[in-house]
Amino acid sequence: MGEFEVHRVRFFGLVPAGVRCLVCQPRGGRLALARTDGAVEVYNFAANYFQEKVIPGHEARSVEALCWAAGDRLFGAGLGGDITEYDLARLCAAHSVDGCGGPIWSMAANSSGTQLAIGCEDGSVKLFQVVPGGIQFERNLDRRKGRILCLSWHPSDTHIAAGSIDILRVFDVRSGQTVQRVMVNYHVQKVKRECIVWSIAFLSSGTVVTSDSFGRVQFWDWERGTLLESHTISTSAVLSLAVSEKEDSIIVGTSTGATYQFQLLPVKTGSLEKRWVRTKPFQHHTHDVRAVAHSSTALISGGLDAQLVIRPLMEKMQKKGYEAALRKFTFPHRRLVSCARKARLLLFQFSQHLELWRLGSTDETGDDGEVLPLRRMPEHLVQLKSKGPEHIYCSCVSPCGSWVSYSTASRFHLYRVQYEGDGVSVKKVPKVPKLLLPAYQLQFSSDSSSLFVASARGSVHVLQLLEPGGCKHLHTLQPPSGSPEAVYLLASSADGHWLAAVGGDWAIHIYNLKCFKHHCMVPMYSCAVTAVAIHPVTNNLVITYSDQQLFEFSIPEKQYTAWSRMVQNRGLHKVWLERDSPITHITFNPKNPSHILLHDIYMFCVLDKSLPLPDNSTLLMNQGTLKQLPETARQRQLHAFKICKKFQPLLFADLLDEKCLVMVERPIMDIKTQLPLPIQQKKFGT
Amino acid sequence: VAMARRRQAAAVLLSPPSSEDEANEAPEEVSFGAAKEAAETERKLVGEAARRHRELLKEKRRRRQELFAEQKKRKLLPEAVLQELSAAPPAGRNQHRLLLGSNSRARPGVSVVLGSVTVLRGFTSLSLYLTRSKGNYMAVCLKEQSLAGLHQQLAKDFLNAQLYGPDANRAQANEFFSLENKKDPVKKAAVQFVDKSWGEYKMSKTT
Repeated sequence: MGEFEVHRVRFFGLVPAGVRCLVCQPRGGRLALARTDGAVEVYNFAANYFQEKVIPGHEARSVEALCWAAGDRLFGAGLGGDITEYDLARLCAAHSVDGCGGPIWSMAANSSGTQLAIGCEDGSVKLFQVVPGGIQFERNLDRRKGRILCLSWHPSDTHIAAGSIDILRVFDVRSGQTVQRVMVNYHVQKVKRECIVWSIAFLSSGTVVTSDSFGRVQFWDWERGTLLESHTISTSAVLSLAVSEKEDSIIVGTSTGATYQFQLLPVKTGSLEKRWVRTKPFQHHTHDVRAVAHSSTALISGGLDAQLVIRPLMEKMQKKGYEAALRKFTFPHRRLVSCARKARLLLFQFSQHLELWRLGSTDETGDDGEVLPLRRMPEHLVQLKSKGPEHIYCSCVSPCGSWVSYSTASRFHLYRVQYEGDGVSVKKVPKVPKLLLPAYQLQFSSDSSSLFVASARGSVHVLQLLEPGGCKHLHTLQPPSGSPEAVYLLASSADGHWLAAVGGDWAIHIYNLKCFKHHCMVPMYSCAVTAVAIHPVTNNLVITYSDQQLFEFSIPEKQYTAWSRMVQNRGLHKVWLERDSPITHITFNPKNPSHILLHDIYMFCVLDKSLPLPDNSTLLMNQGTLKQLPETARQRQLHAFKICKKFQPLLFADLLDEKCLVMVERPIMDIKTQLPLPIQQKKFGT
Repeated sequence: VAMARRRQAAAVLLSPPSSEDEANEAPEEVSFGAAKEAAETERKLVGEAARRHRELLKEKRRRRQELFAEQKKRKLLPEAVLQELSAAPPAGRNQHRLLLGSNSRARPGVSVVLGSVTVLRGFTSLSLYLTRSKGNYMAVCLKEQSLAGLHQQLAKDFLNAQLYGPDANRAQANEFFSLENKKDPVKKAAVQFVDKSWGEYKMSKTT
């Protein structure tokens, strides 16, 4: 791999927000997720669970319930009392309607996706019609005292079951009347606490499933108002539950971070009588699991520890390969760090502020693995707080370090940074061009003279940066046949000639910046793009996809390179394809044109195109063994993928100069100690 | 002579006590009349002081009342405008809606933001007055924020009490994760005692 000095950075204090809601798209293959800071994300199952859309949060937005309706429309509701529809093409909140019932605790769509029912703080259940362009209030159902914490439609849409405090209620949708009222606290003796029904599900058989704060999962016959089965699975609250489409499997999440699966199994083999049995326990989370979902093949849970866990069910898998592996996601699938190489600066993006740091330096040298003493410590130069309640969409620092830019949902900011000796002064550029906001990605050109702004409908704005501190709109680039989706990735060439833009429809367009014309489009691939970069010498575009495929496309020749074809013919190594996290950054070594540097959360790789490709029988991660071999043996076993797994979880890696790397790590334990408190665990023997 | 003696006695009574050696001596003999006169003068002086004090308070109170009356008059728009407003229908055509008068007349929970009011003399119509006013002035009718905010806070408090309240059995982070460290196959120290700064920033060599 070569010898490098590594700046190992652990002062990016990112604390991802906890997962609050999860909902699978019916018949769509996507998962919508809402976090405690109001951010909404969409994951694509087919694209290797790639986080394909992110709508940043908002200070005033609390999302307590999320649901898909009318096919692919996404709605959210929360303690603010509004029902919000999210525009997934423009990645923002489209419009809001006041529920008029106070804070909204729960929301569910009927099976045809034409109506939404919301459960409110004032004890009412309200029905809304989903119409083109928005939603319309239809009517209130019978209102009683007690906040409606959860609700569920019967699959036939004739009844709604609602959970409250100490009570579960069933409504007849047509008449709006309460047709059943069951006290769930009845069986608990001498208890002064109230029983909170945290989640509820209505099965087609007429069974209502509830989970409550006493750690019980209970099955009720709603018509008779009787308890069929009661399972006490935890000493702390069971906060969430989700039923599979076939209604033969249930996943529940508890406050302790444990999740359990219930399955409807025959009492004896061959018997027709079936019972719900608690089958599999899981402990994937350390904090409360407030959201669970059940897809056709997997159990999905999200915790306040910010982790999204997808546990495929073995019995549903065709083959026991990597598809059946457990997937855990803690960090976003996009870059939150940008680097000014020459100036040795790092810009960290938080949800409501940015931090600009200057790296430290050392004069010493040492042996492999040795920690070198610093001559100058890293400095926190500037903290830029975003004004207003909106969270930040994207940010960037120019390669020279003199410009910093970021965008929120409605504002775009550009700053000029000046370095005087040891001090730093930041000045806002006053008149920025009026653009359609938000910007989804920002990228400065390599000579820091232009700023590329990724916008909606496939467009990219080119802004010219003027000294001493100004900005002018030069041109807007658009794909020839238009695109409904926003651009989310940008890459510009070192010579300032080319720009590559990736849209939400996964199309990659390449533009000629000298004449501002569309140059060509990379052939469509069936997966989402996770990172792109243009080689400084050859102007080859290197592309990584969410299924871990890797391509190299020659921009001047408008076709894949010979090396790329060879890689595709040979196929990538199995271990490479079975990585859990996507590549989020690609960069190059100007002194070594055959090198491509890339990284994901768990590994950093120097891909040397001049070396042979490994086949499946060779060990992929062979750096350790190579070091121990004598020179001649090493030469025989060298292959193109030089992978280092020493630094993880890795949020960002870049080459500062030919001998210097920077690695930004975020240890998981540093995050966990800053989260809300977990439940006390009493372990035997401690 | 008697009067001189009385005056002298009064002076002696009213004057500060003499030096220490004289304190050992027996008190001076003072006649009843002299004492009476001394007491009277003293009473008169105190009375006058009290009366002056009362006068001062009265004056202060009077001035304060006047100030309040003045402020109240200043708060209301000129008489002519008020008359016109009570006669005319509420202005609704432009986005700005004015809610005038004291807080008791405004609907509860609605805030009214009014800048400084410039008094124009010689105006002819209400609408002219409203459109003429320039300057940093915008009157808006805000959504009933205070009520909605209260509901939201109550809801959040309920959630917090249920999840993190006294019955919740929560553990401190270092306690919780130290348990994991101890249960690991390779036992580690409690989270609290691991030196955090060690991992902060390092430069190391790697090949």
